[in-house]
Amino acid sequence: MTPEARTLLTQDEVTAAQNQIGKLVHQLRRVILGKEAMIDEVVAALLARGHVLLEGLPGLGKTELVKALSRLLSLEFRRIQFTPDLLPTDITGSHILQEREGRKEFTFHPGPVFTNLLLADEINRASPKTQAALLEAMQERRVTTFGETRPLPDPFFVLATQNPIELEGTYPLPEAQLDRFMVKVDIIGVDQPVLEEILMTRVHGEAPHLEPVLNLSELHNLFRATDAVHLPRAVANFISRLVAATHPRTKSAPEAVSNFVKYGSSPRGAIAIGAAARGLALLRGKPNVGFDEVRRVAVAALAHRLVLDYSAKLEGWDGHRVIHALLDAVPDVERGLPQTMEAAKG
Amino acid sequence: MTNLPASIRPLLRRLQRRLTVGLFLEIWPRWATGSLLVAGTLALLARIFFASAASILPWLWIAPLLALLPALILCARHAYRPAEIAALADSLGGGHGTLLTIFETGAAHPFTMSQFRMPRLRPWRKLSAVLAAAGFLVVALLVPQRIPAADGRTVLANDVVADLKTAVEELKSEELLTPEEEKNLAEEIERIRKDALNRMDSSSWEAADALREKMAAGLSQKEDALNWAAESLARYAAAAQAGIPPTSAQSEELADAIAKLAENGLLSDAPSDLQKLLGGKDALAGGNVKLPKDPEALRRLAASLAQHLGDRSARFGNIRRLPREPGRFNPSEFGEFNYEQGPEGNGPPGSGGINRGRGDAELTWGDESLPFDRFKSAALPPGSVRSPDDWSPVTVLPGAPQEAPELSGASSGMQFSGTAGQTAWRRTLSPRHYSAVKRYFDNSKSR
Repeated sequence: MTPEARTLLTQDEVTAAQNQIGKLVHQLRRVILGKEAMIDEVVAALLARGHVLLEGLPGLGKTELVKALSRLLSLEFRRIQFTPDLLPTDITGSHILQEREGRKEFTFHPGPVFTNLLLADEINRASPKTQAALLEAMQERRVTTFGETRPLPDPFFVLATQNPIELEGTYPLPEAQLDRFMVKVDIIGVDQPVLEEILMTRVHGEAPHLEPVLNLSELHNLFRATDAVHLPRAVANFISRLVAATHPRTKSAPEAVSNFVKYGSSPRGAIAIGAAARGLALLRGKPNVGFDEVRRVAVAALAHRLVLDYSAKLEGWDGHRVIHALLDAVPDVERGLPQTMEAAKG
Repeated sequence: MTNLPASIRPLLRRLQRRLTVGLFLEIWPRWATGSLLVAGTLALLARIFFASAASILPWLWIAPLLALLPALILCARHAYRPAEIAALADSLGGGHGTLLTIFETGAAHPFTMSQFRMPRLRPWRKLSAVLAAAGFLVVALLVPQRIPAADGRTVLANDVVADLKTAVEELKSEELLTPEEEKNLAEEIERIRKDALNRMDSSSWEAADALREKMAAGLSQKEDALNWAAESLARYAAAAQAGIPPTSAQSEELADAIAKLAENGLLSDAPSDLQKLLGGKDALAGGNVKLPKDPEALRRLAASLAQHLGDRSARFGNIRRLPREPGRFNPSEFGEFNYEQGPEGNGPPGSGGINRGRGDAELTWGDESLPFDRFKSAALPPGSVRSPDDWSPVTVLPGAPQEAPELSGASSGMQFSGTAGQTAWRRTLSPRHYSAVKRYFDNSKSR
């Protein structure tokens, strides 16, 4: 194979990026205790300019995490509390008839979506019609109203939260909406030592005071560095095999996929894995993506993209479990060791 | 792999070699197992159906070696490419992608690569299949060869010429046959065998006996020539040793004896210096033997010829020491047919065994194998006494009865006649005696 002359991030560039990201991560870990892995996933997705869906029980710090992010990144931040009576124009903005210089004309009043960091709190409480108002914004990063298309600020992130246990008065996100989130991060409870630490450091549960650690320019530099992280072809091959195996009708699909998955991931899932893995690699201070980064982000990037059938619920399978089974079944390298060889253990 | 740092290159080359070995051990056992199973099947078929293929069966062991060829071709076709080796190495080293990045970009990587441990070879499961298949071949080869029963005529035809073939082999091993003689004998033997196949009668055995006699005669002729040459040489040498110049008669006799030797093919394998002293191969073949004039050459000739004759004489000795005349049936080799020896031959007559006792054995009564209740002894009147009760018509002839003068005077029912040296007697049995004897010897009811 003829090596292609590609520009690899230098050690200085990687170190500088890692330091900046490290500051951000450090501050986030100060706010959200005991959730290092979750913070890494969220930051990796942000570095890849992806939207994040946070799912967890109330009181686990979802909203706090987003608020902390907005403060640390010195970005414009808006919050929309999704309610059943929320209308699409409450998100995108609307044209209002106004009188100007003796003439009446429609003037566009931008909605809260015109911001850098949008917190869609409890997104599943709004009706699907309202949820759909975010579709174009999330994918195209623009808003079209009354035939006029307006670009959203750069960067634009949607960090949505939802509660998984309350079904009354909620509307599950449609697949098209879910697919637009780069990762879905499940937030689980904290361990007892962490809880003890929270009690000792926060009297009323308030978050520590935060100062911005990254300005817009630095953030854009990090985006460029993330895009420059090298994705080896063998790793890309692994991602493609992984995503292809989520489809129950493919030969490479493992038993769990064949039995419980109705529809597999879209190509957007593969793109999401590659992008998030790039972000995670940079967070780890690496100029390239490896198999381990792919395995690390695969669950968050793929689990919410699978459409499971009813038997999965009956058997107690969810997207996470299926993706874990998938990761066990799909080897890193397409052509592995001969059958007469085995990897050395230990 | 030239893009990779020098520190990792030897490791990757080692991995490449190990992968090649692993790939070979993955591919070859399948082919070797298949070839051994095919070989075993062929061996079984040959053991059961094709007796003529028995001699080539040991060659079936090269089957796994033949399987090397396709295995090597497949190994070459499916050899791991450098990119695949790099990907495997990276995965074995923890999957950090560093090795892959250096391999693809050729750029200097700012971070150290993690070393990886070589994968281990585990070929035993694959090789056990080869061993099992080899076991199958061993078992197939150990199956006794089934020889299809030949028809009786073929067996007899082979039997007719078997001794002849043995005799030819023996003579050949002692180098007492010229190639031409050997060829002629082989043709003769084959002709006899074919004749026997077409028509099996006494002529086949006679032809075999004739050929056997011919071989014996030829052998005797050669021995005579050898003896004559040895004696001539002895006389010639004795004269020379005594300081008396050999006479021309002695020289001519020795030359004739040597010519006779050459004629019988006994000089065909003589040492080259001896052949040269006798005028060369052509002269020997044409029977034109000339003794050298030079005394020294004559002395060397005598010494060389004596040695050659001694060697040939030893060969005849070997033939004489053979247990039997070549090709001749020797009953002493078959103890079971020796009627004078063995427990069964010496048993009482009529006690069973291979023979029924000696021909001159005394007849004994009461020890017959026939059932005793079939014949009950009854006292009969004397057979020669004619009484009206004993008479019964034997036959009714047409016409008037003719007088039989030879019986008319015999009142005892017995008549002696014959010429000198010959005696014959005829006794007329009465019908009751006749029927008793007939009943006694009639075996049809006992069967």
